Amino acid sequence: MTSVGLATPAGRRRTGAPFAAGTFGQRRRLFLLALGLPSLLYVIAVALVPLAQGMWLSLFEYNLLRPDRRAFVGLDNYLEQISDPVVQQALWNTLVFTVLAVGIEFLLGLGLALLLWRDSLFNRVALALMLVPVAVTPLVVGLVFRALLTADFGMIGHFAAQWGLSGERGFFGYPNSAMGALIFIDVWQWTPLMALILLAGLKALPQEAIEAADVAGASPWQKLRLVIVPMLLPAIFLALVLRTMDAFRIFDSVFVTTKGGPDNATNVLMFHAVKEGLEFFNIGDASALSNLMLAAIGLIAAGFVLVIRRADRRMLG
Amino acid sequence: MGGRAVPLPVLALQRGAILFALLVFLAPVGWLVTTAWKPAREIFSFPPTLSFTPTWDNFATVFRFFDVAQLSANSLIISGVGTLLSLALGIPCGYALARSGWRGAVGVAYFFLALRMVPPVATLIPFYLFMRDIGLLGTWWAVILLDTTLNTAFVVWMMFAWFRALPPEMEEAALVDGASQTGAFLRIAVPMVKPGTVACALLCFMLSWNSFLFPAFLTTADTKTLSVALLTAYGTKDITWGTMGALAHFSTLPIVLLALVLNRHFVQGLTRGFH
Repeated sequence: MTSVGLATPAGRRRTGAPFAAGTFGQRRRLFLLALGLPSLLYVIAVALVPLAQGMWLSLFEYNLLRPDRRAFVGLDNYLEQISDPVVQQALWNTLVFTVLAVGIEFLLGLGLALLLWRDSLFNRVALALMLVPVAVTPLVVGLVFRALLTADFGMIGHFAAQWGLSGERGFFGYPNSAMGALIFIDVWQWTPLMALILLAGLKALPQEAIEAADVAGASPWQKLRLVIVPMLLPAIFLALVLRTMDAFRIFDSVFVTTKGGPDNATNVLMFHAVKEGLEFFNIGDASALSNLMLAAIGLIAAGFVLVIRRADRRMLG
Repeated sequence: MGGRAVPLPVLALQRGAILFALLVFLAPVGWLVTTAWKPAREIFSFPPTLSFTPTWDNFATVFRFFDVAQLSANSLIISGVGTLLSLALGIPCGYALARSGWRGAVGVAYFFLALRMVPPVATLIPFYLFMRDIGLLGTWWAVILLDTTLNTAFVVWMMFAWFRALPPEMEEAALVDGASQTGAFLRIAVPMVKPGTVACALLCFMLSWNSFLFPAFLTTADTKTLSVALLTAYGTKDITWGTMGALAHFSTLPIVLLALVLNRHFVQGLTRGFH
């Protein structure tokens, strides 16, 4: 008992021992709870409740245009979506788009970040200007590249068609090149953000480790592979997660360029789900589809966490 | 790399690569801007005319077909109110999580990040029905409320990292000196994380301002935003690439300029978030 009486206020606060009513520790906890709860309640009300409703709606055959003919169908919507070849192709398209776009953005972004690492006026100005694509409205980006890539009069597309780089219908006219064009648009817009996050990570690295590698006579490639990349993993992880999730949900640029065509070659999951739900008002199907997307995103996120954990362990052990 | 002096040829090569990247990143935006000032028949002329007689025609068309002031006001209100609301909700929550000393705090922070990743359609359809039922469909609030969930989730996660990196001693000292808890939070902790706050604000504002899917389905003719109008601008018969470029002066240039003005805070804000 005497030891409790002698404990300093700071010591008590840290141990979280039982307090009499109105002590500092308790008021502190109440205060923090009062700061934290509004956000939590807000996201529960505005995100989780609609999400749960979406789960519920996905069990019904329900079209907003014929609301009276609503019928409980259990998991039929899910089975229907999974076995639909158009959905299967959309999943494939989404995966191809995400892997290629994010992969290219990462390699180019890392290169740019390394180039811009040294602090100089030139690099600061370049970095500022590189923010421009990130800020441009994605819808506008889609429209601009649609104009530039069109075969008959686009500034890039015209020459590409003339020199045989694209077919005569232009990049958007054929399945593979249409997908390629969408990847190109995404790379144009988001490589700078990737570079920025990686650069932020580079600037936070301890200078001593890199100097130690220099002293040990490491070649630039060794330095990058053995020193920089392992230490940069948290930033790499964040950049890849953020970009992968956003690429997986690509919508705007598809909407203004290909509308999923030609021949469903660029019909990605998000576009398909929006079309089902907000154009055809098949609420049940669209909800099932978006829940499947949610599950896929969850799987990808879990995969990232596993990889980063393993990398962490290897670095420590 | 590092801090050593770089031989001149290498430096020249590096700068050449950066300049090339800048050209690729800026040329399409340059095309968009010049398009607005060109007469219709010169927009697609070959080789691209660098010297052209600037014309007001495209802007005149835009003002004839669109209530630009109203559209800008809608965009500004939706993005501004949404950003303020996200910061007001997210900063205290990030602080509470960082200072709670609770083991589960990191898990909660990741829960918020996960919310940011939910595909928008998953919530958009039920949210649409919900807004219809309570009569908010078609108002600014429908978009603000939905944007705010995504943005709050992001702000909580980012500010959690910032407050966790901030040593608590200053606040503790202030509390011992008799400052109120609110005072210690608002006057000591919050000013210390200003770069993080600016980065968050810019990212939230950019997301709302540039977002297209939510306002396209949740607003009406009176409340629609610039990004929604842009698509109309492109879809109508009398409207050309030139008019779209002119409208983009209002929809896109402000946000690009804002990002340029705040770029130092932005980079700094991201940098500190990693410790």
